[in-house]
Amino acid sequence: MRLIDSVSEAAGGPAGTNTTTPELKELVTEATHALARLDVARLEELALSCQALTQLPTPRTIEEREAFVRQARAARGEMAVFARVLEATRANLKVMERLRELRAGTAGYSERSDGCGRFSGRDLEGGHGNH
Amino acid sequence: MGTINSAFGVISGALDADQSALNVVANNVANANTAGYTEETPEWQQNSPITVNGVTIGEGVTETGATSQRDRVLEERLDQQQQLASASSTRLAALNQMQALFTPDSGSTSSTAGDIGSDITSFFDSFSSLESNPTDNALRENVLSTASTLAGDISSAAASLNSQRSAIDQDASGVAGQVNSLTSALAQVNQQIETTSPNADAGTLEDERQQDLSQLSQLIGINQATTGNNGLEITTTSGQLLVAGGQSYQLTTGAVNGVTDFFLGGTDITAGLMTGGGQLGGYLTARDQDIPNALSSLDQLANSISTSVNAANNSGTDLDGNEGTGTNSNGVTGSGETPLYIFNEPTQVAGSASAMSVTMTDPNQIATASFGDGTDDNSNAIAIYNLASGHIVNGQTPTDYYSNFVTSLGSTVSEVQTENTAQSASVTQLQTQNNALSSVNLNDEAAAMSTLESSYQAASQVFNMLNTVMTSALNLGIETSVS
Repeated sequence: MRLIDSVSEAAGGPAGTNTTTPELKELVTEATHALARLDVARLEELALSCQALTQLPTPRTIEEREAFVRQARAARGEMAVFARVLEATRANLKVMERLRELRAGTAGYSERSDGCGRFSGRDLEGGHGNH
Repeated sequence: MGTINSAFGVISGALDADQSALNVVANNVANANTAGYTEETPEWQQNSPITVNGVTIGEGVTETGATSQRDRVLEERLDQQQQLASASSTRLAALNQMQALFTPDSGSTSSTAGDIGSDITSFFDSFSSLESNPTDNALRENVLSTASTLAGDISSAAASLNSQRSAIDQDASGVAGQVNSLTSALAQVNQQIETTSPNADAGTLEDERQQDLSQLSQLIGINQATTGNNGLEITTTSGQLLVAGGQSYQLTTGAVNGVTDFFLGGTDITAGLMTGGGQLGGYLTARDQDIPNALSSLDQLANSISTSVNAANNSGTDLDGNEGTGTNSNGVTGSGETPLYIFNEPTQVAGSASAMSVTMTDPNQIATASFGDGTDDNSNAIAIYNLASGHIVNGQTPTDYYSNFVTSLGSTVSEVQTENTAQSASVTQLQTQNNALSSVNLNDEAAAMSTLESSYQAASQVFNMLNTVMTSALNLGIETSVS
């Protein structure tokens, strides 16, 4: 796998090119920001970018390997943040799903309904928490 | 890579488990007719494209703003995340201040706490110079000078930490007043809601209550429970009642062991508030955990260096031929009547850093010679120099101990920074959801939920692929280091 074309390219690109490959660290940071904003379109673009990364050839020269390893090490902190944001998103999603289920339940047969089509906050809040 | 691999493990497992749960079902909104919802125009932001291997991907736009509406479950989640983000943000500010204290200032001409690492080296190196010429007065003066710099920087660091702790204590104390104002306001609006809208949405009154709750969440960790008549019961996260119906319970403060403790109904709830979150949780974590830990490390360092160096110097003979009162490694006890101490001799570990100072004023009292070997012998100077590589501070060399302390502080800062970034991102997500749910249009609400699910799925894909890339790099790193 080859992460970027070369270190020099990452630093600004060789003569004749006007594009650069982003550092892995930048990609991870971008993914974290996109996830925080719930920017689906951007996340899907990033997924395609990452897919392209995984399909690059394995670095062969020592310089390429070193650049690859250096980038991965530099991105470790950002990956930890991304992991935490993803974890928080999962928790947020569970809350939203529960909210949806509760709303669906109040329209029909939920035992938690107060009988007037309005759910009781005490019931749902008692089991919900983040602590 | 231990930490990152652990994070991968947790997240990867969670991703697998969650995939089946992410089925999109029809949204059935019961409260679509609730009054008081508002709507506003979205804002859009341009993204830059990404180019990989010559291929450009994406020129998307980002929706950055929407509308606002009330939903109890979502708002409670938002409050909880704000509590955490506020706590980590407050704690991070304190930790950054601590870290700055121990960061060398390359632009400074005077020695500071950031120079403690080099101070330790300079101090022991001064014995290395002295042992080559033990009668040289300038070299003896240099030993006392480096000792004074080391002691000064350690005691100054301890003073700065104590001063920071006092300032945080004052800030924390001030939060109590803000909490009391908010809980009073909440009790008042709570009572109005219970009276006027016991079975229905109270409109602007609920907005007002939510705003107060949001502010309270940023100050302390709270739990909330809806009562039967549309009121709220609010407690601290450790269960002490703050608001029930129209009644609020005031936080009081009092000095305990030199710092401010917090009480509710006569019970000291400081420990619960520390772990509860909010600004107060952050302040208390810094005040009662982070700063005391740093002070304890400095105390240990100061105590070990002082006692070890004093013991070694007191087991030799000074330039005037006076022997110390200590017993050397051969079991010989000096004939002196007063100890030959370089540093103020600590009586206990606690407080050693603040009290560290150089007590020796006469450079001739530096005992470079061993007992019975004259005054120009250097063997005791060598013994003192060797303390630099001895495991005299909790089983570590002084330099390693200090280095590990600074590294550990840096790791804590980094960890809290990561927590804070993730929590802030979570708050941003929830605010986006909350805003999107403001629309009375059911399609928009369903779309908001779908956006959250789609974002999670897309981010999971990105994460898994990045995981593959990182693992590949890790393997390459191992191969490279072996070859």
